[in-house]
Amino acid sequence: MKVKIKKWTGVGTWSYKVDYDNCGICRQPFHGCCPYCKWPGETCPVVWGQCTHCFHIHCMAKWLKAQEPREQCPLCRQKWRYA
Amino acid sequence: MSLKPKEVNFDVTWKKLSITIKNVLQMDPVRHDVWTECFSDVYSLCVAFPESLAEKLYDEVKQLLSDHVANLYNQVSAAGEESILIIYHTHWMQFNKGAKYLDSLFSYLNVQHIQKQRFSEADQKYGHITMDINEQHMEIGELAFEIWKEEFIKLLKERLVLVLLSCIKADRLNKGLVAPVHIVKGVILSFVEVCNFKKKNTYVLYESVFEELLLQQTAEFYRGESIALLQELTPSQYMTRVIARKEEEKMRCAKFLPPSCHVKLEKKVHVELVEKHMTMLHGECGKLVAGERVEDLANMYVLLKPIKDALKPLVSCIQEHIKQQGLQAVHQLSGENMATQFVENLLAVHAKYSGLVAEMFNRDHQFQEALHRAFESVVNSKMSRNFPKSPEIIAKYCDTLLKKSTKGLSEGEVDDKLTHCITIFKYVEDKDVFQKFYSRHLAKRLIHQQSVSMDLEESMINKLKSACGYEFTSKLHRMFTDMTLSESQNQKFSEFLKDNKLSLDTNFAINILQAGAWPLGTTSLGFSMALPLELEKPLQYFEKFYHSSFNGRKLTWLHHLSQGELKCCFTSRTYIITMVSYHVVIMLLFQKTDSMKLSELTEATKFTSDGFSRFLQPLLDSKLLVTDSKELTDDSVISLNLKYSNKRFKFRIAMAQVKEQQQQEVAAAHSSVEEDRKMYLQAAIVRIMKTRKLARHTDLVQEVISQSKGRFAPQVPMIKKCIELLLDKQYIERSNSNHDEYKYVA
Repeated sequence: MKVKIKKWTGVGTWSYKVDYDNCGICRQPFHGCCPYCKWPGETCPVVWGQCTHCFHIHCMAKWLKAQEPREQCPLCRQKWRYA
Repeated sequence: MSLKPKEVNFDVTWKKLSITIKNVLQMDPVRHDVWTECFSDVYSLCVAFPESLAEKLYDEVKQLLSDHVANLYNQVSAAGEESILIIYHTHWMQFNKGAKYLDSLFSYLNVQHIQKQRFSEADQKYGHITMDINEQHMEIGELAFEIWKEEFIKLLKERLVLVLLSCIKADRLNKGLVAPVHIVKGVILSFVEVCNFKKKNTYVLYESVFEELLLQQTAEFYRGESIALLQELTPSQYMTRVIARKEEEKMRCAKFLPPSCHVKLEKKVHVELVEKHMTMLHGECGKLVAGERVEDLANMYVLLKPIKDALKPLVSCIQEHIKQQGLQAVHQLSGENMATQFVENLLAVHAKYSGLVAEMFNRDHQFQEALHRAFESVVNSKMSRNFPKSPEIIAKYCDTLLKKSTKGLSEGEVDDKLTHCITIFKYVEDKDVFQKFYSRHLAKRLIHQQSVSMDLEESMINKLKSACGYEFTSKLHRMFTDMTLSESQNQKFSEFLKDNKLSLDTNFAINILQAGAWPLGTTSLGFSMALPLELEKPLQYFEKFYHSSFNGRKLTWLHHLSQGELKCCFTSRTYIITMVSYHVVIMLLFQKTDSMKLSELTEATKFTSDGFSRFLQPLLDSKLLVTDSKELTDDSVISLNLKYSNKRFKFRIAMAQVKEQQQQEVAAAHSSVEEDRKMYLQAAIVRIMKTRKLARHTDLVQEVISQSKGRFAPQVPMIKKCIELLLDKQYIERSNSNHDEYKYVA
C-alpha cells in the first residue's frame, strides 16, 4: 500500500425529507421553526402522518387538540395517525 | 420668700438690680447670693401689686443698656486705626457674654411679658397688623444686641470695615496685620452674632455691612493681579499660579470668614482669575492637547470644571486628538498580520488615552464619552475602498488567536487578548457583519478541528454574549451543540458497527450539521466527485445507521469540507499528511500506478467542477506530485514524487484558496448580512407596530433605528424599503385619515 487513509472526518448536513418546503399549518418553512419556538433544530422537529403529510410537531399538536375528538389531517381530512 | 405678689418700691429694687447689671456687663465679679437674689427681684417687679412694673423695668433696662453702649462707643471710636479692632473686639466679647447672662437673668420677664405680647410668625405673615413691628418689645438679650447694632455698629461700620478690608488685603499680599487673626475674625463674626437672636436673616447685617464691600474689593484685587500675572507668566505657569492662589484663598476664607461666605468669595475669585480669561485658556487647549502636556491639561481641567459648559472646547479638542491618533495607528496597515496590528495598535491607543483621561480629568464622564466617541469614529471610519472594514478585521483577529498555530501563547494570554479585543469590538457599529464573519471563521475552525481549545471558544462566545446579548450568539451556540451531538452520534455509530459485525479500515468520524444553522459558503454548489471505495463504504454504513435512528431526515455530504489524514509510504520516510478530501481522492488514485495522465485523473475522479487543475495545484505545489509539463493540459503526465522529503513528518496541505474565491466569500458574507438586515428590520417594524397599532412615519423610523442600534446602524432608505415590503405583504397599511401614518393589520 503506497497510500493509506489513516483517519477521515466527513462533514454532512441534515435536513427534513419533505416534499414541500412549508408547514401546512403555520406556513413557515420546515428548516425554520414553528411560531411557538425560538430556534429551529432538534427542539422543533417535523412529524409525519400515515397520510404522508407532514407538519411541525408543535403545530400538529395544537391542531389535534383543537380538533378533539375527531382527529384529522388538515390537508386530506383522513384520520390522523402518526407514521 | 413668698411668690405672692406684693407691693414693691421700684426705685429701691431697681437701684440694687442696676448695679448687678452693670457688673455683669463689665464682667466684674458678682457674688453668688447677689446674683440669685436678682432673679427674685425681677420676679417681684414683674408681679408687683397693685400693678405690674414690668413695663417700667423694661424701659429702665433699655435705657441702661443704651447708656452703656454709648459709653463703650465713645471709648472705641477714640482709638486709632491700629488699635480699633483690638479694642472693639474686647468690648464686644464682654458685651456679648454679658448680654447673654442678662437674657437669662430676665428670663421671667421675657417669657411672661414680652413673648406674650409678641406677634407670632403667622400673625406677621397673614394677620392684619396695625402696629409697627419695630415698636414691639424685644427679649432682653435681643434688645441688648439690637442696641449694639443700632447704636454702635451702624455708627462705626465705615471705620471698622475699612480696617478689616485692609487687614485682608495685607494678608493676601503676605504682609503683617494690624491685629491678630483671631481678633479680625472675631470682629467679622460679630456682625453675624449680633443678629443671632433673630430667627431668620441672621446674615443680612453682615452681608450689607461687610460682605458686599469685601467681594468688591476681592474682585478688584484679583482683576489687577490676573492682568499683572498674565503679562509676566506663560499660560501654563499662570494656571499653576491660579490654582495655588485659589487654594490660598480657600484657606483665607476659613481663617477669617463665616461659612456662608466661602462659596461666594471663591466664586468671585474664580470669575476674576479664570472666567474672564476663558478665551485665552480655550485658545491654549489645542496646543496643550497636541503636545499631550499632562500636568497642564490636568490644571486646565481643574480651572474650567466649575464653569458651566467651559469644558466643551477642551473635550472636543481631546476627542479630535484621540481620533487622529487612532486613525494614524491603523493607517496604512498591510500584510499577513494586518488584523493583529489593527486591533493591537488600537488597543494601545485606547489604553493610553483611557489612562490619561483617568489621570488628567479624574475620569470625568464628559471625557470618557469623548474617548468613546473618538473611538467610535475611528473604528467605523470608512477606509480606502480595498481595505476591509473593521468588523471583518476584528473577526479575523479573533480567528488568528483561536486557531491552532505556533505562536506559543498560553491559554490565559489568548483569553486576555480576546477580552481586550472586546473593548474595540464594542465600538463597532456593524456588529452583525462581525457576527457573520466570526461565525464563518468559527465554522471552519470547528469543522477542521483547528481550535486551540474549546474552553477558549466557549469563553469568547460568552464574552460576546455579555457584550451584545443572547440573540447575538445563539447561532454560534447552535454550532457548538451540533458538534457535541455529532460526537455522540459517532459513538453510537461505532456501537452500531460492532452490533452489526461490520468493520472499517479507517478511523472514521462524521460531523453532522444542521442545515441552515451553519454559515457554509455557497461556493461548494456544483461540485461533486466520485468517492473511492475506501470512503464510499463507511459513508454508506453511516447513512444506514443515521436513517435507522432519525426517520424523515436526509443527509447531504459536503465533501469539500471533509478532510482526511493520509499515511504515505511511497517515500523513504513515512509521512502523515492532513488534507481535504478531494486531495485524498486524487492521492488514492496513485495506489496502483506511479503516474497518470491528467485526462485519466479527471475521468477517474469524475470531478464535475471545471478547473480540475485548481484542485491539483496545491498537491503539485507541495511537491507530493510532479508533472512533466509547465502548462497543465489533458496530456500532461502527473506522477508521484518518490523522492519527496520534508523535515516534518506530520503536516497539512492547505486548501486551494483562490483569491477570487476568497473575495466571493467575502461578498457572499456581505450580501447575506444585507439579507439578514432586511429581515431584522421587518421584524422590528412589525414588533413596533404590533404594540403601537398606529404610528407616524418619522416615529416609526426613529424607533427602528434605536432598536437596531445594538446590531448595526440602519440606513433610512432601507427602512423605507422594508416598510414598503410590509405594506405589500399587508402586515401594515396606510392610515385613512393621515397619509403619514401606518396602521397595524391584525
